[in-house]
Amino acid sequence: MSNLEKIQKDFLDILLAGDTDKAVALAKETLDSGTAPTEFFEACIAPSLAEIGKRFETLDIFLPEMVTAAEVVQQVNDDVITPAVESSQSEGITSAGKVIMATVQGDLHDIGKNMVVLMLKVNGFEVIDLGTNVSPSEIVERAESESANIIGMSSLLTTCLPYMKDVFDYLEGKNTRDQYKVIMGGAATTPEFSEEMGANGYGHSAAEAVALCQKIMA
Amino acid sequence: MRTRGRLHSVLDKAETGPIVEEREFDIEYIQKPIQALVKKYDVKWDKDLFLTDDDDLADRVYQAGYELALNTGVYCTSTKRRMVWTKAELDEVIATSPSSVIMGEGDDLAHIQARRPDEDSRVAVCGGAYGIPVPENLFVPVMLSYAQEPLLDFIDNCSLVSTYGRPIRAGSPWESVACWQEVDLSFAVVNRAGRPGLAIGCAENSPTHIGEISSNSIGGFRPSDWHHAALVSELKTNYDQLIKVAHFARTGSHIHTFANNIYGGYPGGADGMAVALVASLILLQATYFGCTVNPGPTHANLSCDTYPAMLPGIGVALQGLNRNTNLMTTAFARTWGGPGTKNILYEAGALALVGVTSGIALMEGVQSAVGVQTAHCTGLEARFTAQVTHAAEKLTRKEAVPIVKALTEKYQDAMAGGDKPIGKPFDQLYDVDKVVPLPEWQGIYDEVCQEFETEFGLKL
Amino acid sequence: MKNGMDYEVLLTALDRAENGPVVDEKIWDAEIIGKNFRETLKKYDIKLEKDDPYVTADDDLADRLWEAGMELAAKTGVYCIDTKRQMQWTRDELEKILAAMPDKVTVGAGDDTATIIHREPEEDSHVVIYGGPFGIPITEELFIPFHEAYAREPLIEIFNMGTLLSTRGRMIRAGSPWESIAAWQEKELAFEILNRVGRPGLAMGCVEIATTEVGELAGTTYGGYRPTDCHKINFISEQKTAYHHLIEASHYAHIDAFSESYFNPMYGGYVGGGAGVALACVSGSIVMRAAYQGTLNNIGPTHVHLSASTHPEVLRALQLGLQALSRNGNFLTSPFTRPTSGPGTKEIFYETGALAVASTVAGCSYIDASQSARGTKTGHASPLEVLFVAKLAHAVEGMSRADAAPIVAWMVDRYKDSQSDPLLGKPFQELHDMETLDAKPEWQKLFDEVCQEVEAEFGLKL
Repeated sequence: MSNLEKIQKDFLDILLAGDTDKAVALAKETLDSGTAPTEFFEACIAPSLAEIGKRFETLDIFLPEMVTAAEVVQQVNDDVITPAVESSQSEGITSAGKVIMATVQGDLHDIGKNMVVLMLKVNGFEVIDLGTNVSPSEIVERAESESANIIGMSSLLTTCLPYMKDVFDYLEGKNTRDQYKVIMGGAATTPEFSEEMGANGYGHSAAEAVALCQKIMA
Repeated sequence: MRTRGRLHSVLDKAETGPIVEEREFDIEYIQKPIQALVKKYDVKWDKDLFLTDDDDLADRVYQAGYELALNTGVYCTSTKRRMVWTKAELDEVIATSPSSVIMGEGDDLAHIQARRPDEDSRVAVCGGAYGIPVPENLFVPVMLSYAQEPLLDFIDNCSLVSTYGRPIRAGSPWESVACWQEVDLSFAVVNRAGRPGLAIGCAENSPTHIGEISSNSIGGFRPSDWHHAALVSELKTNYDQLIKVAHFARTGSHIHTFANNIYGGYPGGADGMAVALVASLILLQATYFGCTVNPGPTHANLSCDTYPAMLPGIGVALQGLNRNTNLMTTAFARTWGGPGTKNILYEAGALALVGVTSGIALMEGVQSAVGVQTAHCTGLEARFTAQVTHAAEKLTRKEAVPIVKALTEKYQDAMAGGDKPIGKPFDQLYDVDKVVPLPEWQGIYDEVCQEFETEFGLKL
Repeated sequence: MKNGMDYEVLLTALDRAENGPVVDEKIWDAEIIGKNFRETLKKYDIKLEKDDPYVTADDDLADRLWEAGMELAAKTGVYCIDTKRQMQWTRDELEKILAAMPDKVTVGAGDDTATIIHREPEEDSHVVIYGGPFGIPITEELFIPFHEAYAREPLIEIFNMGTLLSTRGRMIRAGSPWESIAAWQEKELAFEILNRVGRPGLAMGCVEIATTEVGELAGTTYGGYRPTDCHKINFISEQKTAYHHLIEASHYAHIDAFSESYFNPMYGGYVGGGAGVALACVSGSIVMRAAYQGTLNNIGPTHVHLSASTHPEVLRALQLGLQALSRNGNFLTSPFTRPTSGPGTKEIFYETGALAVASTVAGCSYIDASQSARGTKTGHASPLEVLFVAKLAHAVEGMSRADAAPIVAWMVDRYKDSQSDPLLGKPFQELHDMETLDAKPEWQKLFDEVCQEVEAEFGLKL
């Protein structure tokens, strides 16, 4: 096992324990010993997060552990990786893409959407989570102002699907449909509805959402 | 009501009409077309005239308003779409609008019938506080002061300052609690007045659909009561209003509809306001299938509708509608003056004269001191309004013109600045226990009644 | 007000939504729920292991769970999404509210009433069957025959319908007047169905199409659904409410209506694993009573990925939660049957049956069944799975938990491997004769086979 592989194992354990201080210390120590920040991200952070995502899929860990791990990684990025990248003036860690996520108007359910948000983040996407009960016009306006690549919409309720349709109508009305890829998920959505709307993809799990976004951005 | 079969088609329009931004609607579909229509139809009158009796002008104003209704439609802010009617649809709305209605129950029925200008026939009167906020402990005496007046055919509720001591938060469950409290208090009022079947204008504590549809339910306000739906200025609706209307339609409830065009707003002055008023009442009927249609235009700064320059606009629009349709139009007194002043009586009287001779079916009032002073409302100004209304039934517009002018001269200065004549709250004008006017207020009322008799030959 | 409801309790709940401490929703999820749940489980030593029986018979564990739930209920309370405030009650307040709960209620009207009673674990008394497709989407055209097939079944004592896919040909838009139109259409169809089967007073779960308060309030008024029907009100996971739910609570109080309050703790979510779900069943029920004063208490824990309540870990957690509630309070509880399998499969009977057996011996008062194929496939439901639940539940009334455990295990063995790639079955119209509404022979045969299997294996008479 190479040194970085060992560090990655330790890092994974620290993430699972939710120990921010240890995670930051390990990252600092690794970079101080000569590892480039992007290398640390690719060799340690990314695979650790991927493993955590997998364990959540099989429910070997639960949502709180995944949330905590994502928060720890955020802290490591803020405290160690990003400053190191800036000071070295090297190329930063490329975001996998920018995604606007929302549970549409009329629907207050968020856990499914939150899982997708987390999984996207742990897979390197920049995600702007608009929350629940979000109006179609707000979704479109934020996609514009954030220059998003992907609009992701979720709904558990069939009676909220018309608001997904509104997003497509508003994009068409503004002639900006081609600027975004639009994906949907949630128990109320179906592949047939997605196709009828002209969506760029549909997924029925957080893992599928990630795969879809990766495919879109490839 | 037989026209409510169109409900689905109306709701469809809100979902499928052309998408337009709200600001664009205000300018391109309200402001500019109204300016053009005022010119096209030569809508104008002598500025010293506070009531016109020019039938040709009235018809032109009607045509202008009809054209606005046809070309503009209604804007649904919830869907950002314009709801439009074809000419055939609009003509059908007008042709099939109800011309009479009976509200209330048992021995306490109120009959409302469409009229023409100058027609000598009975005008119904609704008296009430029209949403003026009132403390919980005063609701019953305040509303009883209206319900006990035999000249009032039915009443409209005040609103509550609080509900069980808590603030009433729009869009929250407190709206439901407040409206159910309003139910309990309202039934206490009508029972005490010995008029259990009296139609009640409700629910006044319902800024959104929540309170209205919660309390228009089993054990609550009745289908025979007088429920409300409005177009927001100018010519706008939203899901709240449409949800209410759908509910009223299914429960067979009476719907009172109103629109408050803004004098000095996008429609412009009284000429544009008149055009907007006609369009609004036609579209109220098209959108909400009401029984009564009320123009309650509002001065952009003062918020009243008795500002002298507004009166001819209100009158000519009502005349146009009453000459060309069977709509049950109303006039609504939202006065600058408050109870306990002579101003309120002059203002309400002036509007009643304008409205009745212009052919309204129903006179409403009084939303005293523009409705914003807590508990500034009493049944006495409503009684007065009813008295003037019935006296005005015998007058033509021509005969009413000098009276209206004289009345405006009595109150217009108070609108120009200085202390606002807001009057006094209920418990300073009425004996709260016996619910009778105190001598001071009774005295003022008697004086003005006397003035009407002496100066205008009207026995009230 | 009926059902032990108190107006002041309602006003207090609404007050707490306006005046409680402001909390960020993320903090609610991670700390107030997540962290408190973990700590409470540890403090009270609440554990559920994968090799524990599916029906536990440990009264001490159930009672510790109850104590843990009471403590947690007082500590956490409810989160109001609209005001971003934590609604809390003291332990004293909660105890007073719980003490006022009635131990029985009669819903419905005329000849079609159903009386639901509080039961304890292993009690030999009647479990009411609240049956129907529970919100499964169904087309307007099929709505009547589909539901008539359920409503005519005498073993169904309270009836819950599926959800209209459209209303008068239009999409149903939440929070819009179309929700109101759909609510009225649903009501008209419901009453047509009840009249056809000669059960006009049958209590209806309603308003099924209601996504917001619009549908509920519109559908429950003059000429609409009745106070004797079972109206709905719920939490969002975990222990969250919103204005529209509180509006419903106010409305039901004022029209004196029965209501079923329900919530769905998530296995694998913020409450953690099985032990956390069991704890959530208890603390959620307690605070739900405080917030809504609902007549009936339905718990539908769900697997975070599979969305089923019949996942073995979820089932085990639920029955323990039901035991804790039924041993320690007057709750009128039920499980919510949400299997992964659809009709036309044997697995659906095993799934729904396992939950029915476990819940009945755990002391539930009634059973909600069945949101087949997790409620996601249009028309994938049939009354046969409800009938199976009814027969099995009645057959095990009075059975001990120890005797029930092997029955549940036997059933779980027969479906657990299929859950990750669920067998969705077939839609109603492929399983039933659309003229007679009877099950077609092949579907009836599957039902009969499973009944015979259970009878032969366990000596039960179905």
